Amino acid sequence: MSKTLAVLKREYLEVVRKKSFIIMTLIFPFLMAALMFVPTLLMMKGIEGKRVVVVDGTARLQEAFSAKRPTPPPEQPASKAARELGKRAETQAGGKALELKTDYVAATGDAKAAAQPYLDRLRENGSGRHERLDGVLLIPSDAFTNTDAKLVYYSRAVSDIMTEERLASTVNHALSRERLAGRGIGAVEADRLLKRLELEGVKVSKSGEEKKGGELSFLVGFIFAALLLFPTMIHGQEVMRGIVQEKTERVVEILISSMPSFDLLSGKVMGLALVGLTQVGAWLAMGGAMAVYTGGAALVAGVNVFQAVDLRVIPWFFVFFLLGYLTFVCIYAVGGAISNSDKEAQQFMGPIMMVAMVPWMLAFPILQNPESTLATVLSLVPVFTPITMFMRIIVSEPPLWQIGISVAVSVATVVAFFWMTAKIFRVGILSYGKRPSPAELWRWLKVA
Amino acid sequence: MSSDVVLAVRGVNKTFGSVRAVDALSFSVARGTITGLLGRNGAGKTTTLRMINGIFLPDSGTIELFGTTDAAAARDRIGYLPEERGLYRKMKVIDQLLFLAEIKGHRPSDAKPRAETWLRRFDLWEKRASKLEELSKGNQQKVQLIGALLHDPEVLTLDEPMSGLDPVNVVLVRSIFKELKAEGRTILLSTHMMGEAEKMVDDIVLIHEGRTVLAGELEHVKSSFGSNTVHLAFEGDGSFLAGLPGVSSARVDTNAAELRLVPGSDPQAVLAAVVPKLRVTRFEIAAPSLEEIFIDRVGAGTVANRPAEVAS
Repeated sequence: MSKTLAVLKREYLEVVRKKSFIIMTLIFPFLMAALMFVPTLLMMKGIEGKRVVVVDGTARLQEAFSAKRPTPPPEQPASKAARELGKRAETQAGGKALELKTDYVAATGDAKAAAQPYLDRLRENGSGRHERLDGVLLIPSDAFTNTDAKLVYYSRAVSDIMTEERLASTVNHALSRERLAGRGIGAVEADRLLKRLELEGVKVSKSGEEKKGGELSFLVGFIFAALLLFPTMIHGQEVMRGIVQEKTERVVEILISSMPSFDLLSGKVMGLALVGLTQVGAWLAMGGAMAVYTGGAALVAGVNVFQAVDLRVIPWFFVFFLLGYLTFVCIYAVGGAISNSDKEAQQFMGPIMMVAMVPWMLAFPILQNPESTLATVLSLVPVFTPITMFMRIIVSEPPLWQIGISVAVSVATVVAFFWMTAKIFRVGILSYGKRPSPAELWRWLKVA
Repeated sequence: MSSDVVLAVRGVNKTFGSVRAVDALSFSVARGTITGLLGRNGAGKTTTLRMINGIFLPDSGTIELFGTTDAAAARDRIGYLPEERGLYRKMKVIDQLLFLAEIKGHRPSDAKPRAETWLRRFDLWEKRASKLEELSKGNQQKVQLIGALLHDPEVLTLDEPMSGLDPVNVVLVRSIFKELKAEGRTILLSTHMMGEAEKMVDDIVLIHEGRTVLAGELEHVKSSFGSNTVHLAFEGDGSFLAGLPGVSSARVDTNAAELRLVPGSDPQAVLAAVVPKLRVTRFEIAAPSLEEIFIDRVGAGTVANRPAEVAS
């Protein structure tokens, strides 16, 4: 036992003292945050600096685009994604609506002809005498009469959903107001009539509790899935590299001559498990601190971050983290034991890791439909179960018996993998020749 | 010297694929001796040492250490120096040594003073906080040696212990081996450097193609080969020596030669034939050198490829 502890201690200290480990532990949360929020921020920046010319064929909608009037909230979102993004962007901007610079041009005659000079400017892209334009919105003159009329937005790129969304809702709102005004309904009354109600997602649970903030828990699900997966990948590689190195440097001879291979493997795996726990523990602590800090700010802005994370899932997190982690660390240990070089080990692990990534690649459907057959089945299949089940726990409330099966299956998987790994490890770490074939591996399993 | 057997290898076989590395090998090592496990490259020395250390299991046959065949029981009482570097490159010397002591069942706090003593003894004190990869090959070998003996083993199994050491270190290590022997410890070392082996071993086990071809006390083995060998040191071109009458075989180096004489021929006559052609600086009639015996028993094919430092 003391020998196992010696190995555990050495493995742990070796990794934890590495600069790369410390740096990774410190910057990963920021990296994650950046990955999620930078695109939104950029999008927001994108909408804010945009200069759009609105050519109004009806010449009646000037009021909607006058600078003083605040842009009304989006009326009819084209897609859920666009609405989500818009919301997030606005939340980050501190709740204030985004400003889109619009120049209004009332065209009484042929709207297309009136728009022509602006379209030319758009094509020039700032290279001519005129100021640069980002887009031209053409409101057809029959916008009030023809229900099939189309708003046309010209720009150099058509992928700017947020700007298009904003313009469309502004125009539609204004059109409706004008139509109502035509029937004698005043502006204030019209705004009241057109006021849309927001929809709020509420999660119900068996205990009768209700929780708001569905979109955020979706996000949180992603974050936790990443937390379950990435340390495993990083440190699994580490185990594999460490074993290959011990083989090439022949340290393994000293180790094996000093202790049973089972004790050696136990020490290694437990040491690495401790490394993983240290890292995610640090991340959770950092995340918690950030949540408390930014959560306070968000609360002021009307968003309750704490609604999205149920602190009772944290123990489950550690349970599934350890189970998932140990499963993969064992696979990686086998990869290292049967390979003679890092390159060979990587080749062996490539396809296996692709399979292991399945729950991550399916994270979107799983989080969106945590009770679908796909999610339920995946959350009970060995290897996939830890990550999938935890994602389900984050966004829904799976039946306890399913969680039980998941834990049991995971524990059985870990035990089975550990047993196989120990056997292959014993033979593999001392074989320096070519990598064994699957048939040979099978023989090792039976013989060792 | 005690005749108490501490290690007995009995009819051990080991095959790797189609290669028979060790073939019905048997020998024993007496307590308190230095035994040389000699043989050519690929003779099975390393495989034998690995089996003694429980790294490989023999396909058949038994290895008995301290009177038991239970490898696990002997584990902490035996020290092992592998042929190739068996240390973590990125680890500090002192941490590494303490780890090695720990996996041999010693508490780091107990091992530390011993490690420090050995580091001073091996002139590595200044390097104790260096990473292993920052050390020269010879220094790494010395760290490995400390690792093998730090846990105070009764039996030391050393695979090519002198490899990479400069002459000063060779002398140092040799004197340490003799001290360890004086303390009653047993050393089994493999080598193909016969001159080196001759200077320190009590017993030899010469193996060839996985089999013991010669074993016993060195002096005994040598005398059994008779005193019909002439060791000659000279100045001049000695290429004619092999053709002299009365010489059955000759190994001629630059300025030195070892001549096996035909039984019954007179060394004096040989000397007389040599003196007119060469300036003789030494002439000695003795038992053959270990190297001569080695080549005699495991094939003359090695002569041409013999490394220069082997000549003694």
